[in-house]
Amino acid sequence: MKRRKFIKISAAAGSAACSGLGPVLMDLDAFQTSYDLSRVEANFYKKHPDREIECVLCPRFCKLGDKERGYCGVRENINGTYYTLVYGKACSIHVDPIEKKPLFHFLPGTPTLSIATAGCNVNCKFCQNWEISQVRPEQINHIDFPPDKVVNSAQKYNCPIIAYTYSEPVVFYEYMYDTSLNARKKGLKNVVITGGHINPEPLEELIQAVDAIKIDLKAFTQDFYTKYVRGELKPVLEAIKIIASSSIWLEIVYLVIPTLNDNSKELRDMCLWIANEIGPEVPLHFSRFHPHYLLKNLPSTPVSTLEKAADIAGKAGLNYIYIGNVPGHKAENTYCPKCKNIIIQRQGYIIAKFKIKNGRCTYCNNRIPGVWI
Amino acid sequence: MGEIQLLHTLTTAPMNSTFNLMANSRVIIVRKKGILSPNRIPDLNSLICMFKRGFSLLNGPGDYKIFLRNLLKPDDQIGIKINTLGGKSLSTRPEVPQALASLLIESGIPSKNIIIWDRTNRELKTAGYRLNMNNKGIKIFGTDSRGLGYEQGLTSHLNIGSRFSSIQSRIVTASISLAIVKDHGLAGVTAGMKNYFGAIHNPNKYHDSNCNPFVAELFSTDPIWKKHRISILDALLLQYHRGPAYHTQWAAEYGALIFSLDPVAADFASWQIIEELRSAKGLPTLKEEGREPVYLKTAEKMELGNASPADINIIKEEI
Repeated sequence: MKRRKFIKISAAAGSAACSGLGPVLMDLDAFQTSYDLSRVEANFYKKHPDREIECVLCPRFCKLGDKERGYCGVRENINGTYYTLVYGKACSIHVDPIEKKPLFHFLPGTPTLSIATAGCNVNCKFCQNWEISQVRPEQINHIDFPPDKVVNSAQKYNCPIIAYTYSEPVVFYEYMYDTSLNARKKGLKNVVITGGHINPEPLEELIQAVDAIKIDLKAFTQDFYTKYVRGELKPVLEAIKIIASSSIWLEIVYLVIPTLNDNSKELRDMCLWIANEIGPEVPLHFSRFHPHYLLKNLPSTPVSTLEKAADIAGKAGLNYIYIGNVPGHKAENTYCPKCKNIIIQRQGYIIAKFKIKNGRCTYCNNRIPGVWI
Repeated sequence: MGEIQLLHTLTTAPMNSTFNLMANSRVIIVRKKGILSPNRIPDLNSLICMFKRGFSLLNGPGDYKIFLRNLLKPDDQIGIKINTLGGKSLSTRPEVPQALASLLIESGIPSKNIIIWDRTNRELKTAGYRLNMNNKGIKIFGTDSRGLGYEQGLTSHLNIGSRFSSIQSRIVTASISLAIVKDHGLAGVTAGMKNYFGAIHNPNKYHDSNCNPFVAELFSTDPIWKKHRISILDALLLQYHRGPAYHTQWAAEYGALIFSLDPVAADFASWQIIEELRSAKGLPTLKEEGREPVYLKTAEKMELGNASPADINIIKEEI
């Protein structure tokens, strides 16, 4: 019964969140389906008079009275103390290849134990995972999956990496942070898949605990962020700069949505900003949009638009440009910017060819940025 | 506020689709001093009198039963959406829907057709309600009751993308917003319209920009706009500052129920009361605090009701 229940949870969440290697088949006796929420005191908030609090985790700075929840829906002021309700309450657990995140320059071909809780601190109208990101934790099945069990499971299922992903890990910060520290002690890596809507102080602390962050840069105009994300662009750009200046690995994904964020000027501005502020070696992925959630009125992104974006990025001087969600496209591969040979050939999420040794192109010895096996 | 005008008797149910936006909107405020006991339990008989008077004043010279029979059909499934977020201290008090239900039954509505509801059973119980999901008698339950929950599909409308409580979307055919009136740190005022935030799965997503335009846009969705019949607001104990949480020092025993067929005008009148109480305590206006309930003007522009003083007749009566 427990096994069936668990698979159901995993499959239900997975149908929304991913289609990777399927649900992890664990020692199910260790896990209980739970409808209870956690009550672990949150980090990064200020107490104010009259049992009011101000959350300083993300740029929303939610100010909340007693019994109120933040915009994320997973953090609640209970009698003047702010609690995370999703600590150890995973609603989605899968084993995915790292390429699915996508992180293309971080231990290619490595399986990741990928987890999520309910909640998100923005509300993208094109969210692929809205069934878990745009709900409150009590509205979705979850299991008790505390940090030590996450780490044990990653080891048991031969996952050297734990990924915090699918919904928005910023909103389950404490769970992610503690799990990352536990994982690191066991020699595992941690990667974060996020929209980057986080304040500098918690981000800098998180950077100390994880190994790579992928940022979903959703557009390069505040107007888009206001209308389609319900968030702020500037803090995301700040987050990218902070990560880039740290020692951990960074990649950026840009979901290209027809008519909304695909004009040449915006793409050029964004690519030049990355080239100038971050540098030409950060991998940039242009992902194909498919109609979903509240943006069902738009068509899928034409492949030619993605190729135009890649061309603009190339002219801006970026060295590692990828096209995603277009299986079989040549821009799924990694090319050495010096000799132009394919140094990582991908077929979907499978690594078909790997020509990097000691961080260098085996054809021309050019250094290839990334974290390699 | 406008003068009291000649009242007319309703001859047809005030379906929102036929709501006459050109006419002035009537808001009835019925007060009774001392209605709350020392432990703040309202007297049931007094409440019934207040309801009768409120309905009669809305109806003109007719009997309250005539008003209710015009408002609701005997086979309607009547949802009374209360607000129990504020716990025992600051929720719609159980005696209020109880008094309303007794009058509905008197007017010919079968008790089994009356549903008192909110988001969760836990919040209902905390606020003092005794749950009842039986098919006999008045039903009291939350959206999280077994077999209910939120719709799987999204209602997408303007800036709204939400799953509705199946109580509101499937069960209820006629809806009464029986909200409590509170100051709100973001919206400015929470009353009858914002009460429907409790009918969707993701209200936390709609508190930006003083909840504007979200309160108005949510109210204009089909599951609410096509079913809402009347706003009745519990202003027996009214939080006029630092809401929506309960703070005893800024809670006034106002002792009123507010009635209107115009949901926007009802909330506008609530706002005016909050401002009066704030002014009496030397507090700044909500506008001065940057949280004027601008969603009311948005609602007016969307033709959901009136939010201009010249278009609203507020009739106050003490009993």
